[in-house]
Amino acid sequence: MMHSDIKSRPVYQPLVPDLAGGCHLLVVEGETLVPGRLEALVGVFAPVQASLHTWLAGAVAPMSGLGKLWQLESAADVVDALACASRGYGVGDRLYVQGTEPFLWAVATAAAVIGFGEKQVQLHHAGSLRRRVWCTHCHGMTEGVTTSIVACGGCGRHLLVRDHFSRRLGAFMGVMVDAEAPGEIPAIEEVFA
Amino acid sequence: MTIAFKPEETFRGDYSYRNSDAAVLRFPFPFPEDRYMYSVNIEPHVRSGPSDVFLRPFDVDEHYIAECRDKAITLERDPGRCQVLPHMMLAQWDTLELLMESLAADYPALFSLVKEGDDFGSRWTWTNRPLGIEQSFTFGDPATLPCEPFEYITRQAQGDFAICDQRDNNLYMDAGMVTSQADWSLEFDVGMSFMEWHGPVPLAHQTGVFERALKYLLMLRLGQPVRRLNWTMTINPRLDTSPESFPEWGTDRASVTPDNAGHKVHLRVELQTLWRLPRSNAILFPIRCYLASLDDLARVPKWGARLHRVLSSLPPELVEYKGLTRYLPAALEWLARHDDGRELPVGTEAGITTLAPR
Repeated sequence: MMHSDIKSRPVYQPLVPDLAGGCHLLVVEGETLVPGRLEALVGVFAPVQASLHTWLAGAVAPMSGLGKLWQLESAADVVDALACASRGYGVGDRLYVQGTEPFLWAVATAAAVIGFGEKQVQLHHAGSLRRRVWCTHCHGMTEGVTTSIVACGGCGRHLLVRDHFSRRLGAFMGVMVDAEAPGEIPAIEEVFA
Repeated sequence: MTIAFKPEETFRGDYSYRNSDAAVLRFPFPFPEDRYMYSVNIEPHVRSGPSDVFLRPFDVDEHYIAECRDKAITLERDPGRCQVLPHMMLAQWDTLELLMESLAADYPALFSLVKEGDDFGSRWTWTNRPLGIEQSFTFGDPATLPCEPFEYITRQAQGDFAICDQRDNNLYMDAGMVTSQADWSLEFDVGMSFMEWHGPVPLAHQTGVFERALKYLLMLRLGQPVRRLNWTMTINPRLDTSPESFPEWGTDRASVTPDNAGHKVHLRVELQTLWRLPRSNAILFPIRCYLASLDDLARVPKWGARLHRVLSSLPPELVEYKGLTRYLPAALEWLARHDDGRELPVGTEAGITTLAPR
């Protein structure tokens, strides 16, 4: 499900530290640190260890080898921390993010607000494919969607989850599936586990 | 030139919108050939073409007053249809200037613009006679208008408007006034890059249409606007076919029969123009919508027959994307009665100058 004909669907790459960068900030969603993944990150980021800060969201794991480590509760805390980043970040700094898609775009959007340009940021999708779905009709968000059709948390309509993706909202578009023929709802499948 | 406005007609509820004979004959029919496929069909937006709608850069027609009222209704229900990101203020003034100057120059009986005062004549007075508006303001000072300049002027213009900011060799949709769209959401798309907002379009990405179009547009020059036609189908003469209001109009698609298709099914043609703006270097993208029922179109024999052939041979991906699946068979059955199979000349011209009586 990671590839789609719809071109607004982002394509993600593995994280690779940019040796030309000044400071390096790695933000990781804790639940994506499956066995072996931590060691892999340590290996990949070894060349920039001395100038690396790692923010780990939502998991408490004794770890070393990823520079200076900060533990945060959730994506919301990462967003707050970025918004309050009083030391400031410059054009030479680099941001790397690993997580589920809603996590990636929450962090990327907050980073853009404080001046991170597109070329300073790398995003790597890991863990669950669950989606944040934006209702085209009531504009409400439904989190953690794993099915092809979902009842909107805002207005209750049954939404077909499309592949069209908004980076600004960090969400996929949901469109009322039975708008043409009310009540005709196709079989609901588990597709974004 | 006088325009007989139809201020009472509606685009919702009782759908009293109708085209006069003259409006049918000047309809910008988009199909020069019997088959349709996406292409980079961009040409200079000069003051001529196969339809009278090309005679002026911003066409005003008999539906002007009613369309502006319908836009106001949509905005009242959903103010999010007009959005402007904060860095776009200069482009807002560019847009206001372009529209006011064009309309006043091309329709002096309807609109006028007077510039007075110091600071290079920054004291402007705008008169819009069809809508009964007279407004004095200081060009460049948003506080002197009742709302921000982009919203102010596009409320007084037919069609939708987007402004694309140009940076990093890309175009970003950073502003829009979108109340008559063919099923796309400004709230979802605002801030998107060119490839992102075209993301859902089938088939065209694979053939490189969007790469070529983007390259072309990045080079667009001041004073040399360009245009293209796009099209879809709409049930009832409804302007607000937004995804937001899909629950309101979705069931209309299930109401079409071979008997009522003539007045229910409308060809919806967008005259899309693109303008480099002078101060902001952004691109203004007006999307002007024209609606004609199958009844209207079949009064021009060439158009009725050609539409039948285009729709019969449309790739299934486009049928699905344009939302025609449910009612296309009924529309084709209706149109087949107007296609005798004769060879049709290439080109979009009506080929006649008067219509047979209804």
